[in-house]
Amino acid sequence: MNHEAPVRYFLGMPYNPSNILMITVTCVIVFVIAVLCTRRLQMKPTGLQNFLEWVMDFVRGLINSSMDWKTGGRFHLLAMTLIMYIFVANMLGLPMAIVVDHELWWKSPTADPIITMTLAVTMVALTHYYAIKLKGVKEYGKDFFRPVGFMFPLKIVEEFSNTLTLGLRLYGNIFAGEVLLSLLVTLGTSGILGGIFAVVPMIVWQAFSVFVGAIQAFVFTLLTLVYMAHKVSHDH
Amino acid sequence: MDLLAAAIAIGLSAFGAGIGNGLIVSRTVEGMARQPEASGLLRTTMFIGIAFVEAIPIMGVVVAFIMLFL
Repeated sequence: MNHEAPVRYFLGMPYNPSNILMITVTCVIVFVIAVLCTRRLQMKPTGLQNFLEWVMDFVRGLINSSMDWKTGGRFHLLAMTLIMYIFVANMLGLPMAIVVDHELWWKSPTADPIITMTLAVTMVALTHYYAIKLKGVKEYGKDFFRPVGFMFPLKIVEEFSNTLTLGLRLYGNIFAGEVLLSLLVTLGTSGILGGIFAVVPMIVWQAFSVFVGAIQAFVFTLLTLVYMAHKVSHDH
Repeated sequence: MDLLAAAIAIGLSAFGAGIGNGLIVSRTVEGMARQPEASGLLRTTMFIGIAFVEAIPIMGVVVAFIMLFL
């Protein structure tokens, strides 16, 4: 565990090029999956098209369980992109972690709080944008004082706490998983006995991390849709 | 001192997560025993509930890791 982030500077501002690399890899992988699955579109789907149809159906079920389709249909592509992106991002750190000169280059992009908090802030800002766009500024302002007027400070705090927990939940799960993976690798490379003892826990922990990555992608998308539904739907 | 702080952080997080998850899963099993047809919906809701409850203890785990390794 003696690796750190490769911090570089651009115009005096520090940034992490490993994040940029991993985000690019994630985007390329999701793009390739989407293109491969829609090569030959047919009315009766065969082969890879079935996978993307399943994702579409699953996300449609998520949207239907939070809001009616008339208001929720416009978020279908957003939710599909979000769930595929976060799932692939969570999986990237599991096969390997590449450390060059004590600097960690290959990891899950979501194991960095900057990335997950940016995603969370973007999603919550999007909910505010869509609330204003679909309901108008007056209705959006009045929503803060429903159902009772003195709930206003609580509603403000709720926005911040929702954003914080949305981002930090994803970060904590993936980062803790990666730290334990690197600890198991340290055990596995510390001699013959360590190598034998580390095989079964490594298998178990990799499987659990795949499961946790999938669940966290699902929960992030679902919560984004639920926050959207609270602000955008009309019946309280 | 750092080790003690990390141990307290992760111990209390584990305590909270254990009790919370236990309550969630026990109610889910009870609901499934009452109405086996609703198993699918109950299972999905259980996973969502577990992700919610484990969010804050996971932040405690991250705090413990930061104290151990940074």
